[in-house]
Amino acid sequence: MGNCLKMIKRWDIIIVTILVLISFLPFTIFSAVQAKNDRDPDRVNIAVISVNNKVVKRIVLTGSVKTRQFDVHMLGGDCNTIEVKNDQIRVKSADCPDQNCVLTGFISKPGQTIVCLPHRLVIEIKSNHAPSQEIIVSS
Amino acid sequence: MTKNQLNAYIALLAAQAVVISLFENAIPFPFAAAPGAKLGLANIITCMALYTLSTKDTLKVLTIRLILATLLGGTISTFMYSSAGIVLSFIGMWLVKKLGPDRVSLIGVSATGAILHNIGQLIVASWIAQTWTVLLYLPMLSFVGILAGIAIGVMANYLLNHVEKLHNYRALRELNE
Repeated sequence: MGNCLKMIKRWDIIIVTILVLISFLPFTIFSAVQAKNDRDPDRVNIAVISVNNKVVKRIVLTGSVKTRQFDVHMLGGDCNTIEVKNDQIRVKSADCPDQNCVLTGFISKPGQTIVCLPHRLVIEIKSNHAPSQEIIVSS
Repeated sequence: MTKNQLNAYIALLAAQAVVISLFENAIPFPFAAAPGAKLGLANIITCMALYTLSTKDTLKVLTIRLILATLLGGTISTFMYSSAGIVLSFIGMWLVKKLGPDRVSLIGVSATGAILHNIGQLIVASWIAQTWTVLLYLPMLSFVGILAGIAIGVMANYLLNHVEKLHNYRALRELNE
């Protein structure tokens, strides 16, 4: 152990420290870019509501301070009540059997979705220039 | 060193590196927290080659090792990953070693090699996946990489000091410089 410590030279410590810092560099850059994107005033989030893969409504979420509420009616008389409030969107109530869409709650970030499987209703938030957040790692 | 001795020595180092990397592939993965992280045991050979051979001969050892290890236990994708890693880590280790034996020991050299190997692999991975987000995985890999790199540096230092032939070759090399 004493030999081990004796062989460490000053530049070893400097180099290892630099390497540790370098390995966190991508992380820092990404969070900086992410923060810049979030503050980007040009960015607009749009909620796309589709039933049976057909788009029935597009709602601009950014800047929607006022609470809005509306119903989406399906073919068999089924109905989902959707609420938009403070740049967020949710399914307020639905007459589907599992109520998954209601339990999902509010969504606000690009890429998030609410799905009501029994009614084949999908709400997805899209952005005009969305950074992809998916990370795929395989070994 | 005569020409024949040199050839045999290069072949010996390359063969050891290949066997070590095959052996390492056979070990079940020890770090559950960071999939993809490896010990990089074959780095010992690179360190020893760097300290006992000229730059040209070290490159020969690395090329032979890369090709043989791919043919014996790899695929085209592992070839791409490890060639990027090997090229980058060799450049880094060579530069760090240029600082001179008074300033930097084998620990610094092998830690640099380990991290730059990871960086090279991740750059290829992000090129294949077409997204830079892959690089966010670097801290996890480099944590294991630095620890393994330090351990391998200590190990290579012991080998260079205590195996008589290696010790002589190193002295010979330093005389030639």
